[in-house]
Amino acid sequence: MSPSVIFDGLRHCALALALLCLLSACGTSTVQVEGDFPAPVMEPLPITIGVWMADEFRNHEFFDEAKTKGKRSWSVQTGKAQTSMWDALLTGMFRSLVYLDAEPVAGEATADVDGILVPRVDELQYAIPATTNIKVYEVWMRYKFQLLSADGDTVAEWTMSSYGKTPTAFLQSDEAAVNLAAVMALRDAGANFATNFTKVPAVSDWLQTLDYAPAGPAP
Amino acid sequence: MTRPTLVFTLTACLTLVVGGCVTSSIDEMVFNEPTEGIGDASVVILGRRHASDYDTEPEFIRCVGRYIRARDKSIRVLDELDFLNALYPWFEPRTAPLKPADLARLMEEGPVADKLSEMNVQYMIWIDGSTVQTDSAGSMACGIGAGGGGCFGFGTWTNDSNYEAAIWDFSERAEVGRVNAKATGQSYMPAVVIPIPIIAPVQGTACDGIAAQLLAFLSSEY
Repeated sequence: MSPSVIFDGLRHCALALALLCLLSACGTSTVQVEGDFPAPVMEPLPITIGVWMADEFRNHEFFDEAKTKGKRSWSVQTGKAQTSMWDALLTGMFRSLVYLDAEPVAGEATADVDGILVPRVDELQYAIPATTNIKVYEVWMRYKFQLLSADGDTVAEWTMSSYGKTPTAFLQSDEAAVNLAAVMALRDAGANFATNFTKVPAVSDWLQTLDYAPAGPAP
Repeated sequence: MTRPTLVFTLTACLTLVVGGCVTSSIDEMVFNEPTEGIGDASVVILGRRHASDYDTEPEFIRCVGRYIRARDKSIRVLDELDFLNALYPWFEPRTAPLKPADLARLMEEGPVADKLSEMNVQYMIWIDGSTVQTDSAGSMACGIGAGGGGCFGFGTWTNDSNYEAAIWDFSERAEVGRVNAKATGQSYMPAVVIPIPIIAPVQGTACDGIAAQLLAFLSSEY
């Protein structure tokens, strides 16, 4: 192969790259959040908990449509990672975990569980350096939790927020950085839930009724 | 050798040979150094990540660990992510102990105490800081057409690194030293057809500075 053929090839590549750069200014950035989530290192609570994860939780997706020309829309799909993280966390937090096949209904008893936890993602926000001028990528989430008795009656309802950020890094794409920030936010959600679950006043009262008095460190 | 190949080769060589200048300073205050080294025990180096506007870069933590491991193979430095995963959720930004006294409270959690004992951690080193670009100037224009492409101009920027390592003696539940490293360097990028980056290794200098002091503390050979 002659040097001129190689040079022509490189020129075409450069043109294609320039065109790609122009096109990438618009369109949608899609992030399918992926990460490994460890089990918590803690003494499991001696109760059997049922968990109901609605489809909107299992397939949670945040979509931010570009408002102005030249901006990109963002789709952050956290459903798969949410399921993976909460499965690892709750399995380690409770003596036994039971996934429910149907949404719990008030007044209908669910067998073999002490209580039922229903997690929901209430809100998700993200920020990238291009919009904030701060050199960190951030993801913030707010959850709504409902704890039901085995009979389906509401025992406690509370909200919980989580936050993850990651610094800009050389040769790291916006998508990779948002993924990492989302993984950090999920880890933070797990840490917040694991260390504060028994401190929610209504949950604490409910645990007393099960003859379980929570103990442990307050980080 | 064709002309483009020659230009590329010369550019690559120049980039490798020329680097921006860096000035650095190290402050150290340590006591109760292990005179016999740390034996079979291990060390973990962790980055502080609870500030709102910066994160201690994971690659900086890896750089410090690599430096120590490469110069004294007897020192077992635990990988940061492995440690965080093994002790999840107790060392996340929200839950990590901020002072040595907090370790005692953490050790009340039975499984955490067992895990730390299994890992045989003697020293926990917390590094807090970051590298930021503080100043930039110049301009550069690049163009591309059917006949080829190129850039013309000049850019320069300054990076500042500021890191502080706090050494905790795990068995004594006490802080036994602090090392601070500051580095500043200016990078340049002249461009005549091809941009030639002349990068000042600011973060690398800070890493070497802080790691050398930590090595001197931990190793019996230095």
